[in-house]
Amino acid sequence: MVTLEKNIKSVKDVLTSQDIIVFKFDSLNGRKFAVIYADGLADKQLLGELVVKPLKDAEKDAELGTVKKLLASPEIKDGTKISDAIKEISDGNAALFVDGEKDFIIIGLKNPPGRTVAEPPTQVVVKGPREGFTEDIKTNLGLVRKRLKSENLKVKMLKAGKKSETAVALVYIDGVCPDGLPERVEKQIEKNEIDIIPDSSYVAHFISKKPRSLFKRNGTSEKPDIFCAKICEGRVGLIVDGSPISLTVPYMITEDLQSGEDYYSLTYRATIVRILRVLSLLVGIFLPALYVSAQLFKIQIIPFQLLLKISSSVSGLPLSPSVEMFLTLFILEVLIEASIRMPNYVGLAMSVVGALVLGDTAVKAGIISTPAIIIVAFSAICLYTTPDLVETTTALRWIYLIVAGSIGPFGVVLLTAFILCYLVTEQSYGIPLMAPFAPLIKNDLYDSMVKANMYTLKNRPKVFKTKDRVRLKTQSGE
Amino acid sequence: MGMKISVRQICFILIMYTAVSKFIVYPTVLSHYSGRDLLFSALADFAVQAVIVWAVSFLCSRTDKTFFALLEGTFGNITARIIFGLFALFFIVCAVIPLFEQKVYVHAIFYDALPALSVFLPFFGFAVYAAAKGFQNIGRCADICLPIFIVSMLFIFAMSISEIKWDNFLPVLKTPAKNVLGASVLTAFRFFEPCWLLMFMGHFKYKKGDAAKITLSYAGGALIVLLFLAAFYGMYGDMAVTRQFAVSKISLFFPAIDLIGRIDLIALYVLEIVMLFAMIINVQLCVYCISKCTGYKNKTVISIALNAALIIMLILLDNKLSALITIWSKWMWIAFVLFANVIPLLAWTLRRREKK
Repeated sequence: MVTLEKNIKSVKDVLTSQDIIVFKFDSLNGRKFAVIYADGLADKQLLGELVVKPLKDAEKDAELGTVKKLLASPEIKDGTKISDAIKEISDGNAALFVDGEKDFIIIGLKNPPGRTVAEPPTQVVVKGPREGFTEDIKTNLGLVRKRLKSENLKVKMLKAGKKSETAVALVYIDGVCPDGLPERVEKQIEKNEIDIIPDSSYVAHFISKKPRSLFKRNGTSEKPDIFCAKICEGRVGLIVDGSPISLTVPYMITEDLQSGEDYYSLTYRATIVRILRVLSLLVGIFLPALYVSAQLFKIQIIPFQLLLKISSSVSGLPLSPSVEMFLTLFILEVLIEASIRMPNYVGLAMSVVGALVLGDTAVKAGIISTPAIIIVAFSAICLYTTPDLVETTTALRWIYLIVAGSIGPFGVVLLTAFILCYLVTEQSYGIPLMAPFAPLIKNDLYDSMVKANMYTLKNRPKVFKTKDRVRLKTQSGE
Repeated sequence: MGMKISVRQICFILIMYTAVSKFIVYPTVLSHYSGRDLLFSALADFAVQAVIVWAVSFLCSRTDKTFFALLEGTFGNITARIIFGLFALFFIVCAVIPLFEQKVYVHAIFYDALPALSVFLPFFGFAVYAAAKGFQNIGRCADICLPIFIVSMLFIFAMSISEIKWDNFLPVLKTPAKNVLGASVLTAFRFFEPCWLLMFMGHFKYKKGDAAKITLSYAGGALIVLLFLAAFYGMYGDMAVTRQFAVSKISLFFPAIDLIGRIDLIALYVLEIVMLFAMIINVQLCVYCISKCTGYKNKTVISIALNAALIIMLILLDNKLSALITIWSKWMWIAFVLFANVIPLLAWTLRRREKK
């Protein structure tokens, strides 16, 4: 006969930490039980309500099957190996041992600490749903299921991370998602073995065929409405436990020029805003480089009156235009980095130091010119109109600046041609990154730079080659 | 076999690359020989080429084989390789003048003081990368260039249209026919588009009516060049012969430039992206031909070697553009007529299997 103590010892031999709690209790009739769980991960209130309270009525000779029937928890399963118990306890569930029984019961009591559903800070909208993903995969899947009640919604649970065994949910809609795509994504994740997956960005590296590229190969979203919309277009989504940022593949660069709000506002407004975003992106990347190359190599680009202003600002500066711009950009990047990392209460002081001390004083001291500060500030604002591309665009801005300062405007043009030449043949799971512009897909253009009316977008994007192409059927003529 | 390029992309190539490859020195040279009747010289050249383009595209409707496969099927593998070797040489010849023109053009519009050769050398970094790419890349680059081309051309034309004096073209057809046709012959080395089509043959899926689409696209490219020539000569008249780099000159007198600076240069910089792709296509096709000729698959190595040769040529013949143009217009036009006109027509005589 296996004693309760023996089972407890088997578990405690492996899980030696003090936060692994062993709670022993007896029924009113004298049957002995022990529940082992990880403190802070399992819900103690549920343990009391769903496990301890019902088992108070257990008979002295109650067998495991009877005990199981008494439990009020909706999530129970049998366990036979101690290693399974250890895995489940580590995951946040509880293992219930009954005196004299070799086998045990796993009870789903997982309730790790986490924040509640809130508006994501990176994708704020004026119009539209405000719910955002949290760090809890179950909550996130619930948010997805709340929006997609289709029986064709498939969720495949995977594990990633040798030590962390992080849950990764692969989400797609059967019949819409191209055949073989979920399997390819799954294979790509399984190919990589790493100790821990602290965030979905790790998985993003795994699913990217070219992880060293400057250009990402997957879409990201913190909002379930955007996630669901992308899934409905034929993409595969990935939700990683512990990360509020979901991933989607295949990815096209145009995705990041769009915002969820575009679909909730007037199409004309959405189109104008999208064009504005593209222009901002171009200005943000090219403006510092063009300013430097114009000053150094081709002054004629600058209008005469403006040139006079600039020359009066830069006269007497100890730095060359490229070094000046480099320094100003460096200061901006430092300020951005510091403002993100610094505690809120230092924020005000930070603004004063940044804006007044570094900005105004540097200009007055004749170290940096006013146009340089204006250009760098405007460039930064422009780039943040497409926040999902900021990592790439800020890097590009540096590269362009270096090229503009060394090779000049022709270098800027050459680099642009090079990037275009590179991007046009790059793919994300068989879908060209530059689609629907290269290759040109006429139908998909209606939801790219322009945002057409919903009735024009009756079909899913052609580029995905989905089996079920129609997404909107109308009974009227329209 | 997966199709690497589409008819739409070929059409874009013919519209854009045909146009931009004739924007730099070609208008000045035509103005020199034909004066106010330069449009007729250009028209004669384009008409001949359009017929060849139609002939090649119509040939594509009769076979799904590549040009190499047609040659191989008729003359055997060795002869096909030799002919492709000759085509590789021809594409290098095609690339030389645009390359030298670009060098001086880049210097003129991008820089004020630096030496032309040194500022142009970084181009070969891009050329090595791009030339190693295949037809899929050529096609998609054309796709992405289209909006760039439209925006920049509209901008340039909009800035120039108010300055055109149409009476500069009067009286019409007073230039001796010998000069007009002579100009067509002397500028024949700038027309090699049918060869591009010959190389694309078998790499795209032909559908009914595509020959007309392709020919009309070429005509569209020709029309843009004619409009450009009209704008250029209409603006400068007899002074046009002294204006090199025509594209950088036609928006020069836009009234607002005094106030807003030479923002036309921004349009030219944007258009330069299309020009780079148009210039590189000959090098890309040369790499393709060498690869076919030698059977060597590593295109990066071929591209590096080829661009190294071009750099050496550029260094050795620096400042010899006018001499090169003289040689090309007096002697090399024969090669152009042979490879870009005669061989594409003779391709009809090659043995071809019936299309399935």
